[in-house]
Amino acid sequence: MIKLENISFTYKNKLALDNVNVHIKEGESVAIIGPNGSGKSTFLKLLNTIIFPNQGKYIFNKTEINENRLKDNKYLKLFHKRLGFVFQNSDAQLFCSTVFEEVAFGLMQMELPEAEVNERVQDCLNLLNIDKLKEEHPYNLSGGEKKRVAIASVLAMNPEVITLDEPMNGIDPKGKRFLRDLLIALNKSGKTIICATHDFEYIEGIFNRVIVFSEEHKIIRDDKYENVIKDEDFLREYNII
Amino acid sequence: MIPEWLIEKDNYVPKEEKNLYIEKSIFSLIKIVSIIRQNKSKDKLVYSINPTLKLITTILNIVFISISRNFIYLSILDIYALGNLLLMEKTSRKRILIKSLVFPFITLIALIPSMFYGNIYNSLVLFQKIMTTILLMNLLSHNTKWSEISKSLKLIFIPDIFIWIMDITIKYIVLLGEHSINLLYALKLRSVGITSNKYNSLTGIMGNMFIKSYKMSEEMYHAMECRCFVGEYTKKVDFTLKKYDYIYIIINILLISLFIYSN
Repeated sequence: MIKLENISFTYKNKLALDNVNVHIKEGESVAIIGPNGSGKSTFLKLLNTIIFPNQGKYIFNKTEINENRLKDNKYLKLFHKRLGFVFQNSDAQLFCSTVFEEVAFGLMQMELPEAEVNERVQDCLNLLNIDKLKEEHPYNLSGGEKKRVAIASVLAMNPEVITLDEPMNGIDPKGKRFLRDLLIALNKSGKTIICATHDFEYIEGIFNRVIVFSEEHKIIRDDKYENVIKDEDFLREYNII
Repeated sequence: MIPEWLIEKDNYVPKEEKNLYIEKSIFSLIKIVSIIRQNKSKDKLVYSINPTLKLITTILNIVFISISRNFIYLSILDIYALGNLLLMEKTSRKRILIKSLVFPFITLIALIPSMFYGNIYNSLVLFQKIMTTILLMNLLSHNTKWSEISKSLKLIFIPDIFIWIMDITIKYIVLLGEHSINLLYALKLRSVGITSNKYNSLTGIMGNMFIKSYKMSEEMYHAMECRCFVGEYTKKVDFTLKKYDYIYIIINILLISLFIYSN
């Protein structure tokens, strides 16, 4: 489904991704781990075409994704519909005046019938346990509530791939457990999950694969989740735990 | 737990819509932020000259340019500014030159009728004055850090509190600019269909920015209170000169003497 071939990205003469090769299949649940500044967020931004690689190929569903391909407005919209992104900072993702509008934003653009929009929004609000907040202004919410609203607004568009950048950041333990169960359920329902994370305590059971980035911005390991997480020496050596 | 529609794939085909306003907004914001954030501590000589010296001489030269009516003095100042331009980085050089030529040429076109009535000398002097002034200001802003410029204002008796406000303003333009770029990216990623009212989403972002800036200023106020800030702020300015600074001073003294001699 997602294939990156020899991808490199340089930002202001600084290497952010170095020769990255990844193949993610549909339905997989992949954790992206690594120390601070190793390129995890850059990797997710590249998948979501916020940035484009200086070198290499990005293939999504057998189509090469580059600036030229995304000049086709119709394809660009379809691409963003299929691939959802939950930002690390929820403040940067919420721009509507109420929680309801925020979740309905993408659906209104898709021109779905009003009844379907309402149904989907309500389902998402229930799924994320934020039904009580639907008339609230997003900027009045707590960090954990904002994160739930951000996830709901992405889920409402029913993306095939969900990418999340440090979703556990700033959430209390109960919220983290809730998010873990949600991600497991979403993956079981067929969604591909790609998630950059630091939080090893609460991600048990979500992922079946781990991609490890080094401080040199390279992928140093791509293995089963259990194998990596049990290898304490490796995680310590590469400044991950 | 997971609703039925979330398990099935949508059969969605987006409609064609020409819609570049998000891209354009992102691009213009990135441009502003990158101008402020650009790396100005390069190895080239012109970047290492004392910033206070650069600020004072630039202001003096601009004042003298505006007073002078001597074509030769203005031409020498032109050559001096172009010489400085040659010492800049290649990428900045092109940008500065284009910026410094556009406005003088527009002025020159506006002055064509006056030139037909015989006012050629004055029109050319005006053209030259505008070009050199813009060139000198652009050179200063491209080869000196914003923080250094604001610090140097102390030497021309600008109050410390004003310098501090300027520093904070520049810092927050970058911070809020980056926040709004992220908001626009989020808007772009979720713009998956027809936007009925494009400006509605932009006003949402503006409102969000206003609240964000209010919260940030409030947080900073509390942080400053915690660090015993009582309204007084003193800034020290570094005025140690190196070998190249003295050469720079000599060149500028020569230019000032030339102004006095020629006018």
